[in-house]
Amino acid sequence: MSGPRDDDAPSLEQRESRSGKLAGDRYVRIVRPKEFRRESGHFVATEDAIAPTDDAGRFWRRVRRTLLGRPISSESEVSERVSKKTGLAILASDNISSSAYATEEAMRVLALAGSAALALTMPIALGVVAVLAIVVLSESRVIRAYPNGGGSYIVARENLGTLAGLAAAAALLIDYVLTVAVSSAAGIAALSSFVPWLHDHRALAAISLVGLLMIGNLRGVREAGLLFALPTYAYVGSLGLLITVGLARVLSGDVPVAPSPPVPFEDHGTMALTTLLVLRAFASGSVGLTGSEAVANGVPNFKPPEPRNAVITLLLMGGLFSTIFLGITYLATTIGVQPDHGELETVNSMLTRAVFGPGTPLYYLVQITTAVILLLAANTGFTGFPRLASILANDRFMPRQFAIRGDRLAFSFGIVVLAVTAAVVLWAFRGSVTALIPLYTLGVFVAFTLSQSGLVRRWWRLRNRGWRLSILINAIGAAVTGTVLVVVAVTKFEGGAWMVLVVMPLIVSLLLRIHRHYRSVADALVLTDLSRELPELGPPVVVVPIARLDRAAVRAMAFARSISPHVRAVHISYDEEGAAQFRQRWDRWGGGAQVKLDVIESPFRSLRQPLLKYIERIDETDQRAITVVITEFVPRSWWEFVLHSQTALRLKAALLFRPNTIVVDVPYHFEEAARETVPAK
Amino acid sequence: MKNILIGLAGTAVDPDVVRMVASFAKAEKARIVGVHVIEVRWNLALDAVLEKELEAGEHLLSAAEAIARSEGITLETEILQAREAAAALVDEARSRSYDLIVVGMPYRRRLGRVYVGRTVSGVFERAPCAVLAYRQEAPA
Repeated sequence: MSGPRDDDAPSLEQRESRSGKLAGDRYVRIVRPKEFRRESGHFVATEDAIAPTDDAGRFWRRVRRTLLGRPISSESEVSERVSKKTGLAILASDNISSSAYATEEAMRVLALAGSAALALTMPIALGVVAVLAIVVLSESRVIRAYPNGGGSYIVARENLGTLAGLAAAAALLIDYVLTVAVSSAAGIAALSSFVPWLHDHRALAAISLVGLLMIGNLRGVREAGLLFALPTYAYVGSLGLLITVGLARVLSGDVPVAPSPPVPFEDHGTMALTTLLVLRAFASGSVGLTGSEAVANGVPNFKPPEPRNAVITLLLMGGLFSTIFLGITYLATTIGVQPDHGELETVNSMLTRAVFGPGTPLYYLVQITTAVILLLAANTGFTGFPRLASILANDRFMPRQFAIRGDRLAFSFGIVVLAVTAAVVLWAFRGSVTALIPLYTLGVFVAFTLSQSGLVRRWWRLRNRGWRLSILINAIGAAVTGTVLVVVAVTKFEGGAWMVLVVMPLIVSLLLRIHRHYRSVADALVLTDLSRELPELGPPVVVVPIARLDRAAVRAMAFARSISPHVRAVHISYDEEGAAQFRQRWDRWGGGAQVKLDVIESPFRSLRQPLLKYIERIDETDQRAITVVITEFVPRSWWEFVLHSQTALRLKAALLFRPNTIVVDVPYHFEEAARETVPAK
Repeated sequence: MKNILIGLAGTAVDPDVVRMVASFAKAEKARIVGVHVIEVRWNLALDAVLEKELEAGEHLLSAAEAIARSEGITLETEILQAREAAAALVDEARSRSYDLIVVGMPYRRRLGRVYVGRTVSGVFERAPCAVLAYRQEAPA
């Protein structure tokens, strides 16, 4: 709205001069488009600007609004942020929900050494909680150091270099995909415990669930939070009740009787109780640590003051997970619940049966809330992946589409890509939790270790107030998570962790290649000298391919003549007779003398190739950019397109990658043709 | 009252005027148009592009639209440029056949009396349709 004015140039605002009742009472009515409003020296597009104009567009908008809701403007971003209560539900549901299966995962490994080895479950659980405490403490330092939402990628990149940052990013991207896949598969597994027919269709059911979560997340962060708040708190409440009643019964001497698992493990075990087996059990139990990085990554999702709210949420998450995990582990080991070898019933289910009795309403309450939170825990992936991908896209390591917010301010592209990738993984692993688990947790520990090490370097470099304590916390964090990383990688390598170790470097190399591409494009396009004026260009050489001498062709040639006096029309004919007929008609046409015509006979009935060769030869004779003006007839409805050969479209596609070529499309709409046919009254 | 014009000058009384109109126009399903008049100084052409004033006008009309939305009515908006706001409001009301012009008066005193202002009094004197003036209550 500043700069040189051109009075003839069309404007968004029209000014109508009106006469008043009295002479001299003239006034000007400023007719403003409803699609744009003025703000701070520029125009802002309103919701009307994105309204579709055709029936198909309107139908699609209705579908989108029904599924996703009304578009939200960027100004409303702050009102879309979440409180601590909602944040805990959205960002911590993955971590809290893993308390439902972490105990069982550790027990399943220990049970290989016989039932006596299950006594080690509680010490292992305490070890996992100790690691979680260190992780929570270290992550709270990450939040303080990077209040704008650091996450492992930014922390590692800023302090350890780009490669370390990308390694952390790749690890997290993989882990988010696996979070979605594992959680949805685990949720379906929990459901199939009391809906057995679901077991045969678990991959499809899990993929359908991922689809539902995708839609929920496309509706926006806040609405997703509202969707997930109730199940999270219902799970915490019901598990709290289970642990309280269980502890009360144990302490009062009324110890519940553990039910036998449908397919028990061998009582004396099939493996020796070695250090490696204990470490494997610890690695399996540490699945409970997954999801704890989501809060630090999602700091910008919180209402102000973001860092404080995020730290409180992180502490609440750690506290809730530890309480439930230790409570379940204590009760399961005290009562003597054993894991089921056939995976038909979960430890959690057997424990609940023992405490509340089989088939009681409270049993179903615990099982249903567990199933629902496991189903929804996948949401952490939907919160983390799109945000991380958007950060990577802004840094030009991922395609730009990942950085674009959709109608509801969510990173729609990232959400859809995550859902599709998770669906592919679920399909490939047939929706089996057991098959997916070995791939899980490795990525998160790579990210933890890199971010903790990065923070150690940061505190050492800055040495600001309290740096000694911070460096101590993060150094312990790096050492502990690094150790767990090695343990997980070694013990789960054969089970599938190798796949993650192979894919991770591939992703890093892909991210680097994408970055290299963006950098080369930016280098090629950058304006090095802003003081230089617009370059003067002479009129271009214009070629107008013409199939028939009709209104559309005449309009295209008239346009071509308006931009340059050097216009050549070219007609491709399949035979000599057609060429002669076209030439005759051209000579009869009044405008024929103003435009040079070349007629090419193509005995091999190829249209595109001779035309492209012709353009090539013309281009060789002149240094200026060649402009090809293509005339295109646009039918009224989409289905009428199939009745036309779409030569213009194919020609445009062929010329798109041709250097030094400008392609101008002159459309001729059916409505215009019909209007010009009707004689004026 | 099917066609109502509200004069909006960007004063503190504007929100009250919009709410008051909403209270009686909602049931009538009346068309309500908020009009802001940019008064152009005599040393400038009447159709001069006054970007700052235009932007301020857009801003105050957007605020009025938001209030109208919260009251459950739709407010159309228009910006005029004239030498005198009252004449433009009256002429606009005449040319578009409005049934009612509503204007707001912030509570102001001059020379010991409540000051009505030239726009309100001009509209009162010359409007061809009914006029409703809303005066802000006196400060306690």
